[in-house]
Amino acid sequence: MTQTLGGQLILTAIPAIPALVFVVLALFGRYLRENAQYVAIFGMVFSLVFSVTALGLVISGGGEPISFAVPWIDLGEGGAFPMGIYIDGLAAVMLVVVSFVSLMVQLYSGAFMEGDPRFAWYYAVLNLFTASMLGLVVAPNFIQLYVFWELVGLCSYLLIGHWFEKRSARDAAQKAFIVTRVGDAALFVGIIIFWAQTGTTSFDGISQAAQAGFIGGSLFTAAVVLVFVGAIGKSAQFPLHVWLPDAMEGPTPVSALIHAATMVAAGVYLVARTYDIFVQSPTAMLTVAYIGGFTALMAATMALVKKDIKRVIAYSTVSQLGYMMLALGIGAFSAGMFHLYNHAFFKALLFLGAGSIIYAMNSYNLTEMGGLRHRMPLTFWTMVVAGLSLAGIFPLAGFWSKDAIVASAFEDHFYVLFGMALLTVFLTAFYIFRAIFMAFTGEPRTEAAREAEDPPGIMTLPMVVLALLAVASGWVGIPESFGLPLRDYFAEFVAPSGFAAETLSATFGVEPHGFSFGLAVVSVLVGLGGIGLAYVLYVARPALSGSLARRFSGLHAFLDKGWYFDAFYGATFVRGARALGRATNVFDRRGLDRGVGGVGRGIQGLGEFLRRLQTGGVQNYALFILLSVLVLGIVVGAVAGAAYTVLVVALIAVVTLASIAWGVRL
Amino acid sequence: MQQVLDTLNQTIPLEGYLVVAAMMFAIGAWGALIRRNAVVVFMCVELMINAVNLTLVAFADYLPQAGGTGAGYAVIIIAIAAAEVAVGLAIVLAVFRSRRTVNVDEINIMKG
Amino acid sequence: MIVAFAFLAGMTLVSALGVVLSRNVVHSALFMSGSFLGVAGFFVMLNVPALAAFQILIYVGAVTVVILFGIMFTQRPQVRSFSTILHRQVWAGLLVALGVGVFLAYVLSIQDWGGTQPGSGPREMADLGRILLGVSPGTEIFALFFQVVAVLLLVATIAAIGVSRRKTGEGVDRGVEE
Repeated sequence: MTQTLGGQLILTAIPAIPALVFVVLALFGRYLRENAQYVAIFGMVFSLVFSVTALGLVISGGGEPISFAVPWIDLGEGGAFPMGIYIDGLAAVMLVVVSFVSLMVQLYSGAFMEGDPRFAWYYAVLNLFTASMLGLVVAPNFIQLYVFWELVGLCSYLLIGHWFEKRSARDAAQKAFIVTRVGDAALFVGIIIFWAQTGTTSFDGISQAAQAGFIGGSLFTAAVVLVFVGAIGKSAQFPLHVWLPDAMEGPTPVSALIHAATMVAAGVYLVARTYDIFVQSPTAMLTVAYIGGFTALMAATMALVKKDIKRVIAYSTVSQLGYMMLALGIGAFSAGMFHLYNHAFFKALLFLGAGSIIYAMNSYNLTEMGGLRHRMPLTFWTMVVAGLSLAGIFPLAGFWSKDAIVASAFEDHFYVLFGMALLTVFLTAFYIFRAIFMAFTGEPRTEAAREAEDPPGIMTLPMVVLALLAVASGWVGIPESFGLPLRDYFAEFVAPSGFAAETLSATFGVEPHGFSFGLAVVSVLVGLGGIGLAYVLYVARPALSGSLARRFSGLHAFLDKGWYFDAFYGATFVRGARALGRATNVFDRRGLDRGVGGVGRGIQGLGEFLRRLQTGGVQNYALFILLSVLVLGIVVGAVAGAAYTVLVVALIAVVTLASIAWGVRL
Repeated sequence: MQQVLDTLNQTIPLEGYLVVAAMMFAIGAWGALIRRNAVVVFMCVELMINAVNLTLVAFADYLPQAGGTGAGYAVIIIAIAAAEVAVGLAIVLAVFRSRRTVNVDEINIMKG
Repeated sequence: MIVAFAFLAGMTLVSALGVVLSRNVVHSALFMSGSFLGVAGFFVMLNVPALAAFQILIYVGAVTVVILFGIMFTQRPQVRSFSTILHRQVWAGLLVALGVGVFLAYVLSIQDWGGTQPGSGPREMADLGRILLGVSPGTEIFALFFQVVAVLLLVATIAAIGVSRRKTGEGVDRGVEE
């Protein structure tokens, strides 16, 4: 089917329809207003259907990737950059995830964003974002990936700053953009290095060139690490994680889509897409793994003490992305991508749940909530499901993917990472249930909490659907050795390429391993332990948590302020950039403005001076004429030829410069 | 004595006439720039024209290959100069009638 | 030859200076005619006596008279000091004029005119006549000049009359009494 134009059009339509919706809404949003959501959802449904079609095609093709391209830029000798579609198992799954979550979010936003003055623009940018993300997913080469990477970042900026009347939203949008910019710059340098060494930017081409040894050892590692830095920026890993918590200034559905399921997954996706390249550099792989593990642990600690429910969930995202990076770094490709896939659903659900609390109560603050269990039962139960999935409790979806990662860490002898991962399991369970208990149990702490209600149907429908997925999405990836007559469909479908698998087993000694009951029990127990501790501290003895916070106030502040990363960056980079900005401002005002003004004044002065020559007296004029003739005659007569031109030019130059200098001085 | 006579009888070089004409031209130019009375300025212009005539005729005499056309040019110029005097003085008179002055300094409405 | 040349040169130049520097306008006019006479003498020395006759007839005769008429009609009293008759830019003008003169003299003298010898002037009136009519070889352009000058003289006459016409209603010419 993909050989026919129709087939190709259908696949191209997957990112093209949301882009078209963007254009329509951008142009006609003013007239559509509230109807924009119907236009958007209409388009999104088609995109989703086509994505599922694509998935079906890949499955029926036995995992064979679909690929076609059109020439875009052809520099002849310099190289060609085609634009195209490349859909293999990984990409197909991502397409479905992205379009599905986007559809859910757009349904939800219809009610959440009701009454917003820029309603249609919100939907427009949301669709542009979806289009960019889909385009990124199907990119066959670095250039197309980078184009859409940047577009995604732009849309994130626009959406975070949607309520730009608020100073904090503007700042957060700028921060997000600039921090990811650091990553983007590194990514671009990495792309350039690859291109310079191999002459191509397509993933296949670079991978083959790397295998053939076109790229030298340390340069190769450097390029790969640079690409990973780009992923760090986009996926908010250490040390570029500081933008994600602030990005919660945007509307909650935006957070659900962008900062849970899709954009932040782009970094993980990049590593997965270029896995063939990554596996050739053991150094890079270890970097990925350790940064991932460290980030997972660090972000989990920061989430322990936050009072803003969205910030808790944001740190949770950073932490879970760390998990995925860890998995990819140690060679557990399928486990990492499996977690990405599951995480999209339950994290989006958590955000939407937080959004419905905010919709009902108009507050983010956990300390203002309480007792919402009775008043908002649907929200409560969906959030509990999502929390259990996040904590990795059997038999929900999160369990299967998280356990796979933890087990891989243990069985491949990465004990440090295993320890980090296990500790993070504990912390994850703790903080998410801390948030749930604080919000839903106990007595309502404020008036608003007393009057909260479940949101309208169009908002709860997506939540329910996502809750079902949060339970069941993992069941396509149950390993065979568990004992059920099911295959691990996911791992078969989304697997590293043959080359990557070979390299992994050769370099790392990674081998596929069966399901380990022992480790599963350990991780579930650790998770339950976290939940239990949260129960103790926040339901049974709430006073205890307060006194603990006071006793360890230093540690509490350290965690609350995000390990003081923001302060550190502020003192160094931000101050430096501001100083540079001030210096250039001064230079512009004093140096350039004066200079340009001086030229004008100088010419004016010259004009004034020449004006005095116009005396009105004919004999004066005659004198000047005669004088000029004399001068010209002497010059021509005495200094014939080319020197005369030079002399005249020099004279004009001297007069001009003198007048400018005169003017500037004034 | 014979030597003195011989030197005195020498032919005048061409440059001699040219220099005299140049000086006359210069004096005429100076006067045209200097004098306030418009009629005197006119007279100085006539001086300049005569200097040119002198140059032309000098060349006519001294350059065999010119065929004496310089003198013809001089005649034409004399005619034109005469016409110019007539018209010019008519203008001066007209100006004098309206402004009661022939002082060129006071005819300066193009000032600025 | 040299004596004659020196005498004529001196007369011409001194008269020219007189034109410029005399305080009385009529004296200027008379100096001017003296200068014209000097030039006429030069023409004789340059083997063009016909031209000398023209010079005297037209310049000393007609032009001087016309100018004297003009002076008469725009009469001003004689002045005492130079500053009344001379412009502010005396010295600047002197420098420039002197510069021009020196420059011209220098350039003209330096130039190699190639085999100059006196005696090529149209000594015979008939020669001059042929040149003026454009009949002599190499002077065909003069036929055009002749016609142009004729037209020019006509135009000049009409213009002079037109410009100096008294419009109806203007005051009486008070030239002499002033």
